Amino acid sequence: MRKEGFKVLEHKADLKIKVFGETKEELFENAMVGMFEGGRYEKEGKGQKEKIKIKVKSFDLPSLLVDFLSEILYLVETKKLVFQKVEFKKFLENEIEATLIGKKLKRMGVHIKGVTYHDLKVWQGKDGTWEAIILFDI
Amino acid sequence: MISKKDFKKVSDYLWEIPKSFRSDMRVPARVYVSEKMLEGVFRDQSIPQLINGCTLPGIVKYGIAMPDCHEGYSVPIGFVGAMRVSDGIISPGACGFDINCGIKLLKSELKDNEIAPYLENLAIEIQKEVPSGLGRGRQLKFSIEELDKILEGGAPYLVKQGYGEKEDVENCEASGCLEWADTSAVSSHAKNRGRDQVGTLGSGNHFLELQKVAEIFDERVAEVFGLFKDQVVIMVHCGSRGLGHQVCSDYLREFIPLMLNKYKIKVPDREFACVPFNSPEGQRYFSAMASAANYAWANRQMIAYFIRKAWMNVLGQRAGKLTVLYDVAHNIIKKEKYQIDGKETEVAVHRKGATRAFPPGHPEVPERYRKAGQPVIIPGSMGTASYILVGTEASKEAFHSTSHGAGRTMSRKKATRTISGHQVVQELGKRGIIVKCYSMRGIAEEAPQAYKNVDEVIEVVHNAGLSKKVARLVPLAVIKGE
Repeated sequence: MRKEGFKVLEHKADLKIKVFGETKEELFENAMVGMFEGGRYEKEGKGQKEKIKIKVKSFDLPSLLVDFLSEILYLVETKKLVFQKVEFKKFLENEIEATLIGKKLKRMGVHIKGVTYHDLKVWQGKDGTWEAIILFDI
Repeated sequence: MISKKDFKKVSDYLWEIPKSFRSDMRVPARVYVSEKMLEGVFRDQSIPQLINGCTLPGIVKYGIAMPDCHEGYSVPIGFVGAMRVSDGIISPGACGFDINCGIKLLKSELKDNEIAPYLENLAIEIQKEVPSGLGRGRQLKFSIEELDKILEGGAPYLVKQGYGEKEDVENCEASGCLEWADTSAVSSHAKNRGRDQVGTLGSGNHFLELQKVAEIFDERVAEVFGLFKDQVVIMVHCGSRGLGHQVCSDYLREFIPLMLNKYKIKVPDREFACVPFNSPEGQRYFSAMASAANYAWANRQMIAYFIRKAWMNVLGQRAGKLTVLYDVAHNIIKKEKYQIDGKETEVAVHRKGATRAFPPGHPEVPERYRKAGQPVIIPGSMGTASYILVGTEASKEAFHSTSHGAGRTMSRKKATRTISGHQVVQELGKRGIIVKCYSMRGIAEEAPQAYKNVDEVIEVVHNAGLSKKVARLVPLAVIKGE
């Protein structure tokens, strides 16, 4: 059975999610979806789809995941968009080039202040699938 | 698993874990709690996180947790740690994403019965005038050049532009501006996020509250602070918004490889990313943090301007003046001097969810309050009491720091599962408290049941001598962001 993309875990003050992916690409996309759903970010029903290209370079894979999500939060706040899909053009251990596809942001439930590196875990299971645990400051 | 037996009782309100508890601790860990509250502290990761904080290079005396502490990221929320400037570190995660999140308190000249007929309209008008910043309400947009002036000039810059009075900056920590701010240390990402968020409230636990002075504990200090029974006051709780969050993200990202490769510092978790305080990179972060702190003071100044406008719109000739009691940060890193091992030592005090509380006579306390001590403002959770306290000499043991709120005790997820926002609004309504909000779920997440009892927290703070009670405030109307 295919695992769900993400799960919100218990945390006293912040937003903690566990993310799954068949591939690293899917893991990163699900982490973005989990972040938005965890913070209850809603898109406008009407309107055009918007595409934004991003490039993120980082220290290693766990940091790449955090930095990728931080870059997305920056775009949410400055472009007032929320994204639903990611198309990866380049995916290395510490570098990503991708196109984010999203729509205008309607509202957010909680404002995610930042993506933390606290207790950050990214690992590949024996079956080759990927998992991650990420904590967001809200 | 840590338990009560690992603690040494220092006093009824102070407990210590010795340095020998874990081999990597550089100093003992101290927790300011009552015996009754101590058990609660074990229910989350606060203590292991505090112990992690005690391993940071250059930390002196103790790593400290306040009575409102709860688990966070890197150190717990409610942490105070002083790092020697000469050979210690600076750590953005131990300041937090919301740089200079803090409280501003405005005093009115009116008593609650005088505004009772206008309370509903005041709450509506204030909600209308102060944008939440997440797309609702009108927002100001500044050019990058103007924004740089705010980052360098803080609240005084806005006051010069006509958004306030001279007294507003006098009654503010650091007079609303840290002079070592440097806009070149702030990324364009951070500046872009900050352009349209000056004067915005944000979301989560940030709020505006109309309150009344319900009880005065210290008549003498209350008089110095200009407080009287039944007086209406307005509390503002918010920080540096997206700009501050971005500064924290930027420097955590930069510091991780520097810490591991260049400075070879070992920390228990990457969120502790740090570099030597006196390194060029450490100084750049310190300047960027100061810029974000200035932005936060400007933000609260602009909010005060909007509130004054709303106050005037509703009350007209009856309005009188709204004067600032004080504005104080609870997420910030400051250079301060303390006697350490008989020697005056300069330290970088990291306060994350802790309020600075300087004693009587301290040169950084505004002259009008200096004989009494620094005003300390500690908000309760929604619908509960808040407190005004005053700094003490005894708090030196905690680097002149005190609590910053009630402290969460229930997760947001659990709160929304067990509490309904409508029910909270109804219950507060029965007590005559008006709630203005955009989201009922947000109300449930911030329900009083999700927090520790603020009265218990304040008793610890008062009895431990971290600061002394001056007045108790109770809410009349709550205005939340998103």
